[in-house]
Amino acid sequence: MTNKNVLIIANVSLFIICIILILTLFEVKVPTTGMSIVDKEEMLCVVNWRDNYNSWTDIDSCCLEARKQLTCVKEQGYYMDKTVQWRCQTGELSYWLDSKAYNYCNKLSVW
Amino acid sequence: MRSKKIKKRRESKKWTIHERTFLILIIVLLVLGTLNVAKASGWLIPEQPQLEIIDNTIKLDSMTLEQKIAQMVVVHGGLYNMQAFKDMQIGGAHLFAMDSEGSYSDTISQLQSGLQIPFFITVDYEGCLNPFANFINATTVKDIDGIGQAFEKGSIDGKLLHELGFDINFAPVVDLDDQIWGCRSFTGDEKEVAELAEAYILGLQSKGIIATAKHYPGKTLVIKDPHKNIVSAQISSEDIYPYTYLLGKDEVDSVMVSHIITTGVVDSGGIPSVVSPNLIMPLKKEFSGLVISDEINMLGLKNFYPTLDELYVDVFKAGNDLVLNFNEDPNEIYHMVLVIKTAVEEGEIPEEQIDDSVRRILVAKGFDVE
Repeated sequence: MTNKNVLIIANVSLFIICIILILTLFEVKVPTTGMSIVDKEEMLCVVNWRDNYNSWTDIDSCCLEARKQLTCVKEQGYYMDKTVQWRCQTGELSYWLDSKAYNYCNKLSVW
Repeated sequence: MRSKKIKKRRESKKWTIHERTFLILIIVLLVLGTLNVAKASGWLIPEQPQLEIIDNTIKLDSMTLEQKIAQMVVVHGGLYNMQAFKDMQIGGAHLFAMDSEGSYSDTISQLQSGLQIPFFITVDYEGCLNPFANFINATTVKDIDGIGQAFEKGSIDGKLLHELGFDINFAPVVDLDDQIWGCRSFTGDEKEVAELAEAYILGLQSKGIIATAKHYPGKTLVIKDPHKNIVSAQISSEDIYPYTYLLGKDEVDSVMVSHIITTGVVDSGGIPSVVSPNLIMPLKKEFSGLVISDEINMLGLKNFYPTLDELYVDVFKAGNDLVLNFNEDPNEIYHMVLVIKTAVEEGEIPEEQIDDSVRRILVAKGFDVE
């Protein structure tokens, strides 16, 4: 490949990056499916205090409470016949999340 | 011969169009990258002017509208975006769980340093929620079975919070029938819960900490219908009893309003409680303390609005004095302030209402207000 071709490829790449940076700077949102395809009913959040375990259907609130905890670590747990993979904990209180819920939480503005 | 050589050299140094484009793009990229980093860090948010505070007195007229609105906002108090929130003169910073007493003290002292109007430093230390569990073993409200014990717990919690540098504890929860955690509210019927909560509040406030009865008007601890994105509940006279008891005595310094759409003895008019003027305005007429919104990025509330801007306007318009927005991006917080500023300038939200809220906030922070 000649020097000229390398420069053309570099320039096109740089131009695309510049466009992306301009869009980011001026907060131009490109239409996307985003989280509209996320089915919150499939997500699982389990509140655990001492021997008390209950599922919490308000996933957004669960995400916020989980975010408030001291640690969030990957740890396998079971609730009813379902598996949860993440444990967010401070002291005796834990929020167990399955991977879908945890990934969803990670995308929220409060996380 | 020599001049020919020089000319040749000059010609060979001449840059091609591709090389020049490359150089220009690199420069543009560096500038844009820097601007993006500056923006993400909140460095592009303008700093508000210094206030004239004479003899601990603040004149509301001397505050800009942006300063007043910013005072009504509580954000998540992280250190990485701290300067942007300081420049905006935000009203409060909420702290999550940390590993040690030292981490809290360092964070709070860094947050508060150099501020003319200090942040309200807030926390959720309630029921069985203990963000200090890594270094403090505390009893939960579940373990309390008497008024004396409730007052003592309030005093102990208040002393700890005061020593750490907190101002507001979003506690106690006075909603009945905790079906999810099983440990956030006091045990007993509505009268017992109200009396225990009163004792806890008096204990907490005796140490200089603002207590918060939450989440008005109740029913936030019950298991909801998973098929409903927007949560609604029927409020009974039992549910509302602890609130009428505590607010009627004017003993609690603040109350937090939930996102639930309510019917029954408290009717939010088909909209979430936190954006319902029908629910909040009568509350403010009877209650001289602070009305605080629950965190506003929650599903039950966001699903109700096509855009966040409309949500912001309605939360302020409803009459909340303090608005909890834990969005980590300072630019979004500043955007919210600007949206509210526009709404006030266009007459959608009366400035007198903003002034009333700011007055309540500044008085609670220990200032005299003119």
